[in-house]
Formats: sequence, C-alpha cells, structure tokens
Amino acid sequence: MKFFKSTLGYFLASIIINGFWGIFTNKFGPFGGYIAALCLTGSAWYINHYLGLIKHDEDSAFIDMGLGVAICLVTKGYILNGINSIISSIPTFICIVVGAILGGYVSVLIERNIVEKKKREESSKEENFEMLDLKIID
Amino acid sequence: MSGQAIITTILGAFLFPIFLRLFWGRLVNKFGAIGGFLAALVIVGTIWIINHGMENHLIQQSGSGWIDMAWAAAIGVFTASVVTGGKIKKSFSNIGAAVVGGVIGGIVLIFML
Repeated sequence: MKFFKSTLGYFLASIIINGFWGIFTNKFGPFGGYIAALCLTGSAWYINHYLGLIKHDEDSAFIDMGLGVAICLVTKGYILNGINSIISSIPTFICIVVGAILGGYVSVLIERNIVEKKKREESSKEENFEMLDLKIID
Repeated sequence: MSGQAIITTILGAFLFPIFLRLFWGRLVNKFGAIGGFLAALVIVGTIWIINHGMENHLIQQSGSGWIDMAWAAAIGVFTASVVTGGKIKKSFSNIGAAVVGGVIGGIVLIFML
C-alpha cells in the first residue's frame, strides 16, 4: 500500500511538472520558469513531501520527487528517439552525478560548520556566564 | 561534449542541491507550507533559468535525450541524507516507486502530446 501511494506521488509529480512546464515558458519565455516553479513544483511538493503522499521509513535516505521527474523525461526520450537518446546522453548524466554528489556533500559540510560555530559560541557564552557568576559570588 | 560544457554542467548540478538543502527545510520550519512554496519559487525558478532557461545555460545536453536538473536534486539530496546517517537499504522501496512512477509518467506524457 505504501509502495503504491509513493508510486502515485512520483507519478503525479512527473506528470504535473513535465506536462505543464512548457505552457508557462512558451508563453512568457525563460521568466515563465518562475511561475511554473511556483505553481507546479510548489503544488507537487505540497502533495508529496508536506502532506506526505511519499512516505519514507524512519532513518531511510531521502528520495526526492525529482527522481520521478527525471526518469519520466528519460523514458519520454527513449520512446520518442529510441535507445540512442539514452546512450548519447550518458556524458551529461555522468557530469550531473559528479556535480550533484559534490554539491550534496558540500552542503552537509556547510551545515556542520554552522552548527559547530553556534555550539562554540553558546559554550563560550556559558563559560562567560559562569565566570560572571563566580565574580558575583566572590 | 567539450571541456567547457563538462565544467558548466558539473557546476549547474553542484549549485542545485546546495540551495535545496540549505534553504528549503529552514524556510518550511519558519513559515510552514508557505515557506515551501516560497522556496519552490526562489530556488527552483532561479536555478531552472540558470540551468535550462537562459541562452547560455549551464547544463548542456550531449545527446537527443533530456537530462533534467531534477537528477541533480534527487542525487544531491540523497547523498546529503546518506552522509548525515540515512540508510540506503531502507530507501530501495522508494527508489523502486520513483522508477515505476517515472516510467508510467513518461508513457502518459507521450499520450498527452
């Protein structure tokens, strides 16, 4: 049941985002992308990740609805242009995998850095507080 | 693909998960669902224009198939959640659901043409 609900979620996201993105960008040019992002990505995210149509187990790695969107476009290319479209796109795919893994890792490093900085500031504040207390007591 | 295209593609895929990971969750914690819509507008809109929309876009397609920046979102956020302690094995059912849903979505999109 959970699998079917998640499948429905990824399916809906891929249809909503890929099916209607072109409407906005054909009409308004590149800046139609903003309207499309707000209406389509926003609503798909709301259904899937905020209301929770796509369910994750506890401590499971997070699979974004973007995977459904991306696979949908590869499937569309395969049906329209045959296996050649997949093979000729592999270089782009490899570049994207490299960039995305680097990006994900770097974002975690940035988060850790911020958290450690906050902790250090808090602990230094507490130490100061203790010192102040001691002075008052003295 | 030329060397330039390789570098810009890697850069385009590098930017997206950083913005997603650092903005989206925090905006949702702060503003609730509205924050999610705001994040969709600001992050996805801007990065889509950079990666696909503008004339000299960053993600260059090497073939006739379309590799969307959604790959970068999925792989990048997955990597980040694995690094912070997510279990890969437990996510297999969700990966399967994404593959099935995506393939069905692609077939239905062909019907919509």
